[in-house]
Amino acid sequence: MTNHQPSRRRFLAGLGAAGTTALLSGCVTSSSSGTSSSGGAVTLQSNLSSPQAKGAMQKLVDAYAKQGSGSASLNTVASETFRTQLPTYLTSANPPDVYTWYPGSVADTYSKKELLLDLGEVWNSSPDLKRYSKALNSLCTDSSGKKVFVPTTYYWWGMFYRKSNFAKWGVSEPQSWDDFLDLCDKLKSKGISPIGMGAGGNTAWVASAWFDYLNIRINGADYHRRLLAGEHRFDDPEVRKVFDRWQEVLPYFDPDSTAIAFQDATTSLLNGRTGMMLIGTFFADAAAQEALDDIDFFRFPIIDPKVPLAEEAPTDGYFASARTGRRDQVMDLLGYLATAEAQEIYIRGSSGTTLPCHPEAKDTGTALVKKGRAHIEAAEEITQFFNRDSSDALQPTADTALTKFLAKPKSVGSILTDWQREAEKIWQA
Amino acid sequence: MAVLTAPQRKTPAQPPLSGRRGRGPRRNPPLLFAFVLVPMLAEAMWVFWPALQGFYLSLTRWDGVTDPQFVGLDNFREMAGDEVFRSATGHTVLWLVLFGGLSALLGLATALLLQQERRGIGFYRAALFMPVVFSLVATALVWQAIYQPDGVLNQLLESVGLGSLRHAWLADQDTALYAVIVPALWRQIGYVMVLYLAGLKGIDPALYEAAKVDGASAWQRFRHVTLPQLRGVNAVVVSVIIIDSLRSFDVVWALTRGGPYHSSELLSTYMYSTAFQSLRLGYGSALAVVIFLLAFGVICSYLIRAFREAD
Repeated sequence: MTNHQPSRRRFLAGLGAAGTTALLSGCVTSSSSGTSSSGGAVTLQSNLSSPQAKGAMQKLVDAYAKQGSGSASLNTVASETFRTQLPTYLTSANPPDVYTWYPGSVADTYSKKELLLDLGEVWNSSPDLKRYSKALNSLCTDSSGKKVFVPTTYYWWGMFYRKSNFAKWGVSEPQSWDDFLDLCDKLKSKGISPIGMGAGGNTAWVASAWFDYLNIRINGADYHRRLLAGEHRFDDPEVRKVFDRWQEVLPYFDPDSTAIAFQDATTSLLNGRTGMMLIGTFFADAAAQEALDDIDFFRFPIIDPKVPLAEEAPTDGYFASARTGRRDQVMDLLGYLATAEAQEIYIRGSSGTTLPCHPEAKDTGTALVKKGRAHIEAAEEITQFFNRDSSDALQPTADTALTKFLAKPKSVGSILTDWQREAEKIWQA
Repeated sequence: MAVLTAPQRKTPAQPPLSGRRGRGPRRNPPLLFAFVLVPMLAEAMWVFWPALQGFYLSLTRWDGVTDPQFVGLDNFREMAGDEVFRSATGHTVLWLVLFGGLSALLGLATALLLQQERRGIGFYRAALFMPVVFSLVATALVWQAIYQPDGVLNQLLESVGLGSLRHAWLADQDTALYAVIVPALWRQIGYVMVLYLAGLKGIDPALYEAAKVDGASAWQRFRHVTLPQLRGVNAVVVSVIIIDSLRSFDVVWALTRGGPYHSSELLSTYMYSTAFQSLRLGYGSALAVVIFLLAFGVICSYLIRAFREAD
């Protein structure tokens, strides 16, 4: 009995203390001015979770630590989780410092909300960034004129195919839209699904590439960007034209287009079940090396020669949290990531189909990559991708509209009306 | 035992301690209050407060980054004219009926089948219960492979000469919802079976013997002995099923994300995609409020009736 009382009292006191600490720490977190601790390694939050890309990122971080000016700790998060959590990371009281993400409209949205660190200092001081192209400069500048992004690599989209299969089927790259339709006809007559897609599973966004390309070929890149910014309507006659063209090629699409994810569609392409596929070079991460040597691509066919030539070439890179407590270390890391050396380390470590943003950094030098570089350089205008030119929030509206169009092409009128209504909700949010 | 009960006993010989309130059988020791209050406080902080905030958010327009903007009942007004919301509600009701109804029926049927102790019965019970153990997302991935255009199901149909029934099960708006219900059912049946098995074990065998002596058939024994005896378990099963139906999310999200074009959208998936994909957290919160009211209403009305009958 005598022992019992003090221990009970101590237990209660302990509980009280624990509770108070929890409450206090809760208060501190919620009312702090929101800066992460200033010591230690820079935290680098990465969405590059495929094994090859993840390994390449680790090599990059190791190389940074080795050169001695600072260190970074890599935290890789699954792509989908990263995307949905990004606003939470950026608004949290103790956010990660640096993030892999996209420049342009997507970065601008966060920058307008004052969540991104002004990177003017590193852009002004880094001899590497001074050599970057004008186009990259403006892509990384937000609407108020502030630099908020450091670009490191980019890749291109194109109609990919297997060289050996095209040779076997006796077909070659088309030069025009009519050539393209002929090619589709020929492949279909041989019992092959001419166009593969992979907008099923969890990759419905792949369908947006067809919308983007048809729109930039028919209405031009400028119209496309304005449409995605809410300055035009999805039920405009211009947009309707995009779907009229799409209907022309719809019979040539693989019937499994909306039933399988793009990784499975890649397998169909490599196995010769489908003839070609409009996709970005990232699909190569899922391909075996020997198949990779057999892959080639051609430009999405030109529909109206009067429309300036535009290509989709999404740029990847980094931005940093405005609430970081390691401002100087962040600038140092971003300066390093902008160097040719850093970009070469990443490209060598990954599947090697991306191109470096640094004008003097070497790519892998394969025939495919050389062709890709020339393909982008020939374009008068560059677009990013549907979600990057608009917002992640608008992407689901496109997924719904486009998969519905693929299943019910005849109800395009109501699909576009619905799309506009859904998009308005996002723009007004 | 003696130590524990000693303070509870009123002993006139023991004078009350100075500065402390006297202990009587009706006075609870402070430790008891601590055990109630501390979890209450934690619950209030981590559950009630966020829930109340959810109610408040449903009256705002919020992108999750800037400050929420108060818009009154605008979100609910929008919901009234929202076709996707209407179809998601329809699918949720269908889900409740099909998933809930079938899992209760099949769970009871398997429990009846497997209630008698025979050799090897444990194996069958374990086999049926096995899917409950797997994570639902892992389950969904396996079923995704089964439903693939060249997956097991289509191959099976082909091999038995039903190739004309081949289908992109998850990509067709006519089949997506039903295709998603199957893995959810596959998992739930084992769980409901266990609940019913426990209920069946609790029935006094003398009742069956008496019924047999009275000449009751197997159906009559089931109808007049088993079912009334299972009333308590039924209340639990129905509550579990309704709650599980309304919070069904993971399997749908992993398989179809509510698609193609909202054809397998449930209220829960619609809430998630509105809030976290379209970043309309105000509208998403309004949907959450509706789900909460539905669950609360259905459960309350059912439980009140069930327990009134039981009394």
